[in-house]
Amino acid sequence: MRIINQSATFTLVAAALLAIVIPAHGQSTGSSAASDLATEIEALRNEYEARLKALESQLSALKVESRAAEEQAATPAQRAKPAPDNVFNPAISAVLNGMFTNYSREDSAIPGFQTGHESERAAEGLSLGHSEITLSSNIDDKFQGGLTLGLGVHPGEPAELEIEEAYIRTLPGLGLPDGMRLQAGRALWTFGYLNELHAHGDDFSDRPLPYRVFLDNAFNDDGIEFSAVLPSELYSEIGGGLFRGDDIPFGGSERSPGAWSAFARLGGDIGSNSAWRVGGDLLGGRAHGRGGGDGHAHGHEEDEAHDDDAAHEEDEHHEDDEAFAHMDDDHEEHEEHGHHDDHAEFFSDGMFSGDSRLFGVDFRYTLAPTGNARERELILQGEYFLRKERGTYAIEEEHQECTTVPEDDGFHTECEVHTDERAETLDGTSSGWYLQGVYKFAPRLRVGARYSRLASPRDAGLDHDPSALALMFDWSNSEFSRVRLQYNRESLGDGEHDDQIMLQYIMSLGAHAAHTF
Amino acid sequence: MKRLALAAALAAGGLTGIALPATGAAEVRVLACEPEWAALAEEIGAGNVTVHSATHGRQDPHHIRARPSLIAQVRRADLLFCSGADLEVGWLPVLMQRGARMEVQPGQAGNLMAADHVELLGRPEVVDRSLGDIHPSGNPHVHLDPENVALLASELARRLERIDSANAVAYRERLASFLDRWNDAMARWRERASRLRGMQVVVHHKAWAYLIRWAGLERVAALERISGIPPTVADLKNVLERASGAHVKAIIRAPHEPTDASSWLAERTGIPVVELPYTVGGQREAHDLFALFEVTFALLEEANDRP
Repeated sequence: MRIINQSATFTLVAAALLAIVIPAHGQSTGSSAASDLATEIEALRNEYEARLKALESQLSALKVESRAAEEQAATPAQRAKPAPDNVFNPAISAVLNGMFTNYSREDSAIPGFQTGHESERAAEGLSLGHSEITLSSNIDDKFQGGLTLGLGVHPGEPAELEIEEAYIRTLPGLGLPDGMRLQAGRALWTFGYLNELHAHGDDFSDRPLPYRVFLDNAFNDDGIEFSAVLPSELYSEIGGGLFRGDDIPFGGSERSPGAWSAFARLGGDIGSNSAWRVGGDLLGGRAHGRGGGDGHAHGHEEDEAHDDDAAHEEDEHHEDDEAFAHMDDDHEEHEEHGHHDDHAEFFSDGMFSGDSRLFGVDFRYTLAPTGNARERELILQGEYFLRKERGTYAIEEEHQECTTVPEDDGFHTECEVHTDERAETLDGTSSGWYLQGVYKFAPRLRVGARYSRLASPRDAGLDHDPSALALMFDWSNSEFSRVRLQYNRESLGDGEHDDQIMLQYIMSLGAHAAHTF
Repeated sequence: MKRLALAAALAAGGLTGIALPATGAAEVRVLACEPEWAALAEEIGAGNVTVHSATHGRQDPHHIRARPSLIAQVRRADLLFCSGADLEVGWLPVLMQRGARMEVQPGQAGNLMAADHVELLGRPEVVDRSLGDIHPSGNPHVHLDPENVALLASELARRLERIDSANAVAYRERLASFLDRWNDAMARWRERASRLRGMQVVVHHKAWAYLIRWAGLERVAALERISGIPPTVADLKNVLERASGAHVKAIIRAPHEPTDASSWLAERTGIPVVELPYTVGGQREAHDLFALFEVTFALLEEANDRP
């Protein structure tokens, strides 16, 4: 209807313009030509009038028809609407995440490993977890782009805004050979199974141990990645990337690109209701003074206080005679750790400089007994990581020298803080794995179990391998909302268990990216 | 380690080499999202195409995992034949992106979305997530109107001719033969539908809109008040009330739909639950498009003839 209307208007305008322009042109030519033109114009006028009449009658006929059609079935939305200004807005989504947690231990350090900022356990008690805002859209026929902002909220601190992803990807329209894709910027790069997924889609509230210690939950350095799905009957994909080398397991990119990756994947179906995928990955690069986020191995709560402690130490000791005793305790703890070799602290607290290579294999198997994963489904998944690291681990140690000076009202303790750096060249080869199973037994209910384990570097001289067991139960009202209860039993240090309870909701609003396998 | 990376890449390449089938003649590879379109592609392309269906007859096409095998299928497809109208929105975009096959991208001859070629019913006035899994552009379950199948058969033949012009004559001949048989069948079904006119039914999901309109049935209620969200007890009671007031002959359910809600209503009302095949392969007897409608009409007649 609109089109008809417009063309009618257009015809009118065109006729009017012709009527003006043509005579103006005609005046400059001879008088015989002028009369010719006049007849021509007359003919044109007649023709347009006839066409207008025809169009008008067509229009009224259409009006009648369409009114009848509307009465029959149509809803108001079916009538043509002018396109609103926001039709080309990118898809926007936000992930809301809240938690209640309870831990039996204060400390969640993993002896023999550095842990970064991202992989710390969530603050105890009620807290807002990790929220996310994602914008994504096709840029044009050749590119697609996305931006994910992560909002890290630690109670009592201002929110941290982190750019989790800011990437562009090629679309097939660019004309790369079929199956090939380039991605550049910052993204959750291809490594293992979990790395490329957003944590809110995970089956458990926290990432398994190997992800926490080797990747600080996820590797999302700045870089570029290439991948190609090969034209085979089985799914097979290969690819690799170059990265800045700033994100854990690397750091302090002196020379960029300071890291690279390579991966290969295979996958297929078994029968019509189950599917599998296996992958192998390599991630290599150099680290220059990689620290687990300023000694984060000590756990979040302690770290916050760390800097302050150093600054106020003198004052405290000045007033507190017990400072002596306190200091001795600290010292003894360190000794205890180093029964065999005093190297564990180098791995957990040291700044690492050297080559780091991470090798990973992963598999995933899904089985939906009826073919409908929404009804019932079993998912088995496991990954194994081996990290080869060789280089120096440097520890900055604060030495306190205190002297006790007698005073009128008792004793006065004066302490001075010196910073020494100790460095050792060590073999940091370590490994870790996890295995998990998740079973959806009713359309909205799932249970899952996961066991993860690490083998700490031999040079650390620890005889306890950190391990963790997680059990979860979740309820998803729709694919946009999920409430999860999880119990963790972590045995990270010697003989001590940390029992953790986590109750979490994860809800997403707005556009929802389609799920990967 | 770099050597290892190379070795891994080579190994993957090698495996791929093994996996590559020995394709002789350049057959057109059709990837159908649903079995009904796979069946139609077999009808029109038989002999010149290899057809693979992403889903089987007892699967809910709304919710499919973007399995690795499907990425591999898209990667090699010459023609992608789906329902469209967002039916596959939960999984197809990932496949298209990862498979990155130019020939089947939107706008190409190899991208055929059924919903783009027929008139859609049930376009929602309001689009909001609280309304469940709604399809903003309209109801995508278009294949249950046999006229739509005929329209799509012609469109499919046109696409195949463009993709594989060497065999254009074969496609045209097969289309003509199919339409002959289909029009005859439609005449028979129309007659059978005239005896079903006004038959009252309760459906599970709004997947039956096209069949209901074509056969002139009357939908009294849908068990799913909100599309895609399992009905609550309150919803069911509401349906029970409406069903009790009417003379409902059947509670219609697709093979992939959960049985609890329809059984609940059947127990309380005595109305029989009729599981219709919904698509080709939904029931063993519904082995092709003709049989799909034959079986559907037979089951509806059986329910309607009950006192």
